[in-house]
Amino acid sequence: MRDTPVATVQCYFEDVELDVPLETPGITLTRAHVALFTGITGEAAPQEPDTVPSLLPLSLSSGLGWRVPRPPLAVLAFMGFEWRFLAPLRVGDTIHSVSRTLTKRNMRDGGVVIEERKIVNQRHETVQAGKLTLLVARRPAA
Amino acid sequence: MLSYGLVSGHPGVFFEDLAVGQEFTSPGRTVTEADIVIFAGLSGDYNVLHTDAEHMKASIFGERIAHGLLGLSIEQGLASRGEPAAAHGVLSGLKWKFKGPIKIGDTVHVRSRIAAKKDGPEASRGLVTVDRQLVNQLGEIVQEGETEHVVERRPG
Repeated sequence: MRDTPVATVQCYFEDVELDVPLETPGITLTRAHVALFTGITGEAAPQEPDTVPSLLPLSLSSGLGWRVPRPPLAVLAFMGFEWRFLAPLRVGDTIHSVSRTLTKRNMRDGGVVIEERKIVNQRHETVQAGKLTLLVARRPAA
Repeated sequence: MLSYGLVSGHPGVFFEDLAVGQEFTSPGRTVTEADIVIFAGLSGDYNVLHTDAEHMKASIFGERIAHGLLGLSIEQGLASRGEPAAAHGVLSGLKWKFKGPIKIGDTVHVRSRIAAKKDGPEASRGLVTVDRQLVNQLGEIVQEGETEHVVERRPG
């Protein structure tokens, strides 16, 4: 294995604090996002122009989570999630996400963190929301 | 507003046409390095799991793996090619588990089954729950869960 760090600093299981809201910067949904996403999924483009595919905002929120004033979470695996699609989004809408850790528990290979996440539009309406289960690395022994 | 029964190639399929127990199988699709690179660029998720081949040589996976949400997104696309349009119309919710890695070169397909039908919040639409499994070339279930869809009832 190459001897360079994965990231200068990471947020390990021990560093995860419960109930601290974390708000990301925003991102405006564009036709380019929709075209790239439907190109990857192979799903037929929405019949109604400028409709945003349901899973695109969630995918973008995983990247937004890297743009917060906190080191990236040392995620070993995304284990699962439950999600509700509450309102449609359209090209031109600007979303950001707000998340907080609900629970954390020790596991053999790391720690399991349950995160509540909401995707919010420019009118402060929650358009998608749910709970994600993540396996997070423990801090390596010094 | 989307016409839920007419999202893609199987026009005219409505809530009444779907029956609990109906099963569908999608075509297969080989997941490539390009899929992962494009998804990282689109989502902004550059976790080393998906982007650093050298780091991943030493991991339990031995190589880069696809983002879980990339697998799910591919699953949605495959399902739309294997189920009547109504059955994958508009997602209202999902419960999903990522059970195993998808590696570059793996070929996946979707098995699905209509699990439940119930009334929706509006008289003109119903809710359909579909059990879905994303299966690799070895027959291993790499992702699975249930998706809930809002489906139009037949007009009139």
